[in-house]
Amino acid sequence: MKKLNKVTRWMALAGGLIMIPSLLLPIWRIDLFAPQYPEGLYMLIWKDHLSGDVQVINGLNHYIGMKHISEDMFPELNYITYVLYGMIGIGIITFSIRRVWMLWTHAVLLISAAGLALYDFYKWGYDYGHNLDPNAAIQVPGMSYQPPLLGHKKLLNFDAWSTPGQGGWFILAGAVLVIGALLLEYFYFKKRSNTLA
Amino acid sequence: MKLNMKGLFLAIIMAFVVIAMFFSGCKPKGGISSLTSDAASKVYVPPGSYDEFYLFTSGGFSGQLGVYGLPSGRLLREIPIFSFDSEEGYGFSEETKAMLETSFGFIPWDDSHHPELSQTNGEVDGRWLFINANNTPRIARVDLTTFTTEEIIELPNTGGNHASAFITDNNEYVVSASRFSIPIGQREAAIDSYKEEFDGVATFISVDPKSGTMSPGFQLILPPFDYDLAHTGKGPSSGWMFFTCYNSEEANTLLEVNASQRDKDFIMAINWKKVEEYVKSGNGTKMPINVAHNYRDHNKGGMAVSERYTEITTIKPEEIPGLIYYIPCPKSPHGCDVDPTGQYFCAGGKLAAVVPVYSFEKMQQAIASKSFEGDVEGIPVLKYDAVLQGEVKDAGLGPLHTEFDNEGNAYTSFFVSSEIVKWKVATQEVIDKAPTYYSIGHLCVPGGDSRKPWGKYVIALNKITKDRYLPTGPALTQSAQLYSIEGEKMELLLDFPTIGEPHYAQALPAELIKDKQVKIFKIEESTHPYVAKGEKEATVYREGNIVHVKMTSIRSHFNPDNIEGIRVGDVVYFHVTNLEQDWDVPHGFAIQGAENAELLIMPGETLTLKWVPKRSGVFPMYCTDFCSALHQEMQGYVRVSPAGSNVPLKFHTNNKGL
Amino acid sequence: MKSVLSILLTGCLLAACGPKATDNKTLAEKPNSMFSDDDRSIAEGKGIGEVKEVTLNNPLDASRVQRGLDIYDMKCSACHQLDTVRLVGPGWQGLTQTRKPEWIMNMITNVDVMLEKDPEAQKLLQLCLTRMPNQNVSIGDARDILEFMRQNDGE
Repeated sequence: MKKLNKVTRWMALAGGLIMIPSLLLPIWRIDLFAPQYPEGLYMLIWKDHLSGDVQVINGLNHYIGMKHISEDMFPELNYITYVLYGMIGIGIITFSIRRVWMLWTHAVLLISAAGLALYDFYKWGYDYGHNLDPNAAIQVPGMSYQPPLLGHKKLLNFDAWSTPGQGGWFILAGAVLVIGALLLEYFYFKKRSNTLA
Repeated sequence: MKLNMKGLFLAIIMAFVVIAMFFSGCKPKGGISSLTSDAASKVYVPPGSYDEFYLFTSGGFSGQLGVYGLPSGRLLREIPIFSFDSEEGYGFSEETKAMLETSFGFIPWDDSHHPELSQTNGEVDGRWLFINANNTPRIARVDLTTFTTEEIIELPNTGGNHASAFITDNNEYVVSASRFSIPIGQREAAIDSYKEEFDGVATFISVDPKSGTMSPGFQLILPPFDYDLAHTGKGPSSGWMFFTCYNSEEANTLLEVNASQRDKDFIMAINWKKVEEYVKSGNGTKMPINVAHNYRDHNKGGMAVSERYTEITTIKPEEIPGLIYYIPCPKSPHGCDVDPTGQYFCAGGKLAAVVPVYSFEKMQQAIASKSFEGDVEGIPVLKYDAVLQGEVKDAGLGPLHTEFDNEGNAYTSFFVSSEIVKWKVATQEVIDKAPTYYSIGHLCVPGGDSRKPWGKYVIALNKITKDRYLPTGPALTQSAQLYSIEGEKMELLLDFPTIGEPHYAQALPAELIKDKQVKIFKIEESTHPYVAKGEKEATVYREGNIVHVKMTSIRSHFNPDNIEGIRVGDVVYFHVTNLEQDWDVPHGFAIQGAENAELLIMPGETLTLKWVPKRSGVFPMYCTDFCSALHQEMQGYVRVSPAGSNVPLKFHTNNKGL
Repeated sequence: MKSVLSILLTGCLLAACGPKATDNKTLAEKPNSMFSDDDRSIAEGKGIGEVKEVTLNNPLDASRVQRGLDIYDMKCSACHQLDTVRLVGPGWQGLTQTRKPEWIMNMITNVDVMLEKDPEAQKLLQLCLTRMPNQNVSIGDARDILEFMRQNDGE
């Protein structure tokens, strides 16, 4: 099986190691802005806990019948840490094995983990935004409050933003590096090795 | 290899740049408020110049009334009404103590929400201002020539006087409706027997057209909803009063959830002219009540008197049909407002997304054609669509209150989305939106609930100030905001702090009342039982252990200013007459150890401070209001001897025995 | 040396007069003929106010004297004694002999303007240091007080 180019091999390692800060930084954040909250409200999702204005958000959301956000709501918080360890470790493995098939495995695992995470987040958001208390004080017919998966969405008087946290950026950077390595391997080094051959 | 490592480094950087580009610059920066550059000149009132409008803001939990000048937002005065005020001695002086009497005894505080200027023919006439007390249900009347509280009446059978103090369009009645339904007739009942035993009431207090004196008119016994706000009909709808109500679920616990279940609650329309005729022809049931009626008796020098009203006529709606109708209104309506033409009325469903606008004419037709969708305890419920003129759609969230200008526009406050929305009454079309900082409750356009609004400004009365002012610990200032409405677009001009929590406010042009202000009380016309009309009448005399000091004050001395012969165990009444007859020369009076407050005595006025010396000694007294260059010399002494001592009663000024 | 001093002095005087002169100019420009009348009135010792000419009656009007006494008790006695002793304001004895009746009545009814413009009133303020309050006395009441003052002076 083909060996990895030196550059792509190091990129794979960097793609893993660059995720280490995400163990110490918030991975995702949700920001809410409203006329009476000009400074904004935010919620940070860490590998194993939540922080920010969770209580204030809960206080507001109960008027429209949304569930109380709590860490119990996210069983994911119990294993994100291990997934991150895995993502970092796999970079080291790819670096050590230095085979193209391993880079493939690395990329596929990474993309599927990210895809699963996003799907999981979407599923939670859907439930959180749609599964409302039928006795809620404010009920706007046809209105649901699903938070945006990524980017901006207007929820009643709030502008909601869903973006990666600092840790999330490192994870994204890792993903970009690994996928970049794969692309380089196929569209750049492959061509070059062909011409060299 | 060297090149390759550089490539790797670049790739990592690129990864970050791509991500950064993807997400950069998409979040808003909060707290933006735009002011046009000439806003300052529009609110600038040069030193020595007068404001154009008086603004009267309720003090909320301060229980008082704030008076501001507009457009400057300068605080002119705080009128004590339902809470005592040590600054003026209101509620402490013998002349004002009785103003705070109730059937529960002396109550030194309340929660005042809705000031209402008196009206003639539906136009603000500048005579009086009425305001409600929410907690211990009362209505007060303030005289706009003296800016003093002249009268307070307690309301019978009422829990939470919130839908008050709104007047009919010729001051015939000032109304109240209960926020809390209770078992009527001051009796107990199991709270879970709410639906059977509890009732709401709407009370119409008669106002004497000449003197303004209030007396119980009549009271309607209603289903146990929470009645919230009201406004009078006018023009074609004159003779009707409109109230909002929520909790048509009739919940008695966790109303936050349990009173928010129905899609629609109600506006209650009362044909009070018809009720009045019914009562005048001897109908209704006389019910015994026991409520306080306090007023400053100007035949006794303004000495407040607390009397009792013992009877009110009550009417149950089923006695005579056609008095009351319910009109469905989206989700827990709050404000209830009638446009200047009297043809349309609207309500803000605080949990709703639309503002329904109803037509009085359609209401009349619906009544005539019996377009009912049912009834509540015999009160017909009209069909929503039969009365509806239109809905203001997609305006904002949490509509609360609406005021009107003189050009056919309405201004509705939206609490949740924190904005004022301007819309056309005729078409319900939204014209403009302006953000408020933050969470607006009521709003006010000068004359905005009358037939003749003056327009020009809308004032937002906000619930939260947050980052708008210098912070002052955990408790921040309360605030109002002034917007110009002279153009098509609303324009924010000014933030200004307010006393207490401002709920409703009303404004009128200064011209209407400024030249009617009382400047002094004529000393020769004083009817006070303890007045000293001149120093010759100043005296001290004993009645058992009560000592009366009839004292005068004029720049810059008291007479007498040396008093001896008071004994521990005496009760001393200082009746201080201000002999000045010139505007803006009040004198103050304070004495060491007084357990109440000071007196602030206007020219020609007599006020009385009760003083019970607890120990012997010589106690200073002095004038607290800087009155002249020799103000600091305006002082005196009272000698208090031990109980049982035989020091003779002696008093003088400048060693001149009187 | 003397001439230098006198020049200096004149300079000071001129400087002091400077603003006043412009004041007078602006006053004079106002289409108000009252000013010259006021000046004349002050010069005649009648003070400034609505009271231009008082006709004294002889003998005294007893009911006026009584009303004057009542008003004195109520509005004046806090500061004025009936002898020559100054309390807050000057004692009243002898006043009707030293002041014109018009001056007395203007001082009672128009005290703020008197204190601003009338030199005699200003001298009294310098002496007593307390501005006489406006006691909201009508012209008729002031006439009654005058009658009482005349009686107090032994007429």
